[in-house]
Amino acid sequence: MRGILRIAAGHLFTAFRERVTLFWFLIFPVFLLAILTLIFGNMGQEGEISFAISVVNLESNTAGPVDFAAIVEGVFEETGTASEEGKEPLFTLTHPSDGEDLEEFLAREKEALRLGHRAAVIVIPEGFNQELLERMMRSSSSPSGNGALTIYINEGSAASEMATSIIEQILAGVDREILTHIGHFQEEEAIPSETLWVGSGGEELSYVDFLLPGVILMGFFVNGLFGVPGSILFARDRRVLRRYWVTPLTVPHYLAGFSLGHLTLCLIQFVLILVLGRFAFGATIKFAEPMPILFLLLGAVTFLAFGFFIASVAKTANAGMASANILNMPMMFLGGLFFPIGGLPTFLKVIVYANPVTYLAEGLRMSLGVQGETFSIPLTLAVPVGWIAFCIFVASRRLSWDVK
Amino acid sequence: MEEENGLMMRVTGLKKYYGEVHAVDGISFAIPRASVFTILGPNGAGKTTTLEILEGIREPDAGEIEVFGMQLKKVTRAVKERMGVLLQDGNFEPYLKVKEVVRLFASFFMKALPTEEVLTRVALQEKTNAYVKTLSGGQLQRLAVGVALVNDPDLIFLDEPTTGLDPQARRNMWSIITDLRDQGKTIILTTHYMEEAEALSDRVCIMDYGTIIAKGSPRELTSRLGQETIIEFNTSSLSTDDLAQLESYGKTAREDGEIVTVETENLVHTMEQMLAWSREREIPLTNMTVRQPNLEDVFLLLTGRRLRE
Repeated sequence: MRGILRIAAGHLFTAFRERVTLFWFLIFPVFLLAILTLIFGNMGQEGEISFAISVVNLESNTAGPVDFAAIVEGVFEETGTASEEGKEPLFTLTHPSDGEDLEEFLAREKEALRLGHRAAVIVIPEGFNQELLERMMRSSSSPSGNGALTIYINEGSAASEMATSIIEQILAGVDREILTHIGHFQEEEAIPSETLWVGSGGEELSYVDFLLPGVILMGFFVNGLFGVPGSILFARDRRVLRRYWVTPLTVPHYLAGFSLGHLTLCLIQFVLILVLGRFAFGATIKFAEPMPILFLLLGAVTFLAFGFFIASVAKTANAGMASANILNMPMMFLGGLFFPIGGLPTFLKVIVYANPVTYLAEGLRMSLGVQGETFSIPLTLAVPVGWIAFCIFVASRRLSWDVK
Repeated sequence: MEEENGLMMRVTGLKKYYGEVHAVDGISFAIPRASVFTILGPNGAGKTTTLEILEGIREPDAGEIEVFGMQLKKVTRAVKERMGVLLQDGNFEPYLKVKEVVRLFASFFMKALPTEEVLTRVALQEKTNAYVKTLSGGQLQRLAVGVALVNDPDLIFLDEPTTGLDPQARRNMWSIITDLRDQGKTIILTTHYMEEAEALSDRVCIMDYGTIIAKGSPRELTSRLGQETIIEFNTSSLSTDDLAQLESYGKTAREDGEIVTVETENLVHTMEQMLAWSREREIPLTNMTVRQPNLEDVFLLLTGRRLRE
């Protein structure tokens, strides 16, 4: 036990004294959080995620009893206005300039959507008012198909997916208001529902709240995949581990000591990021619940185990770094951290479903209340635990004290 | 075995092969307690492989090891608790302090000496708080010896402890080794410096191509050469006739690069003849030295090669 504690202490001392390690372990994640929040979080002021959208109203017949097209357009105009000074509105709307041909404006906006400059383009078609009116008169929900509202989205864009979800909620609200107005819907007959933010004490989540779990997981990921094999393999290449070989210290004891030191560093990194996020950028997300803590610990241990795995199969430090880079790409980008995984081809989905990052990111977001449940809790725990068992098994058998 | 006949270790028929290469080819030796046992040989002779098997780093292909009265196929954790090892090419974490390194290694053993005592033994008290990366080569080697002594071992392996050290640091290391022997420790040493083997060893075994070609005390080994005195000098090149002439003045004469060696049992007579030959042939006897035979000469006699070739 003394040996394990001394190895942990040695790992911590080395990390704090070596500038390169210190930078990647502590400075870089904090720096990343600061930069991303300052750039995308409205310079640190309290703000919300804002989507750039266009509403193109092609309805020219406004002579009817109710101009539904104008109501819908008005609703989006309203959401495009900030509720408080200094706060970002939910949508940033782009309008056609005075006298501009609407079809030309629509074509230009579709191109902007394709290029990722817009999250969605909403088109209110010619005949929209008439269609809605006829549906009400028939008291039927079967649409004729003409005059249906169209939402264009960019399939590969996460912003588009999120914006579409919000637009659909707004339109459902508008629909309900209209039905209530003409007497086809009684408010008291509606299924009672209330939307609450879980994990933020009822407060709205800011951009930094969305960012924080990702940065923390990414920090653990980089520490584990690159930091762990880097430390072990460079020590082995420099013949530092060789000296342990001729003592009674065993490989499992060494791994236990290293793990203790590494997890302590992860804890320090986590606290630093959290303190910065909370006090400098106003994050309100709360990690002090059993499930978020469990997923954070699971994340740190999973990536540590992958680091051990790389260290045990790579022959040199350079080979270890190359292996870490090979694993980095699919694990980081096919784990649902940055891109939606729904539209991926089947062979890539195999990687997604085998990737522990998928479950860790999902589990952490789910436990923090920033994402709905896609996988069951036992599955989000079981897959990373399975990987940990596999990696530790391989490392404890294959990790060598000396260059082969 | 240990209690019965005062032996610390007995090795019998030890073999280690790497494919066609017979790194260690059936060697046997016995090491008395409280002595310095030196394995001497040129690079690639099998010294380090032998030591690494005895240290538990490698497993032998065949052979038996008896140590601390136990017969082993390979070195166990219990044996490692009583061993101290100085590796030929090990390093320490550069960003740890000297005292932290000693404490780290002390924590691996059930029984360990206080850090201050270890550092005093290797004269590193002044460097307690220094980072490893700031130590000189000699200080690093002393720290490595300190780490090998941290568990107060009965058996100490020192693999080429003075390689790369300056003369002063080498003398300091010799002093540490003789102190350890005086404290009753058994030391197994490898070196390719014959003067080091002569100065420190109670017993020497000379290895070449994985086998032991001679063993005994330094005096026993050099006495194989009889009562000859060796005369050496430097010259550019001699003709076959010149070398034959020199041989006729003594017992043997040979040219090895620029060094000419003449062995004689009658120093005065041979010297007179050589000086006359030098004047007559106008061949200067540059850097001429006269000395008694050493282990280098024993190796030369047995293999026809010098140790450092």
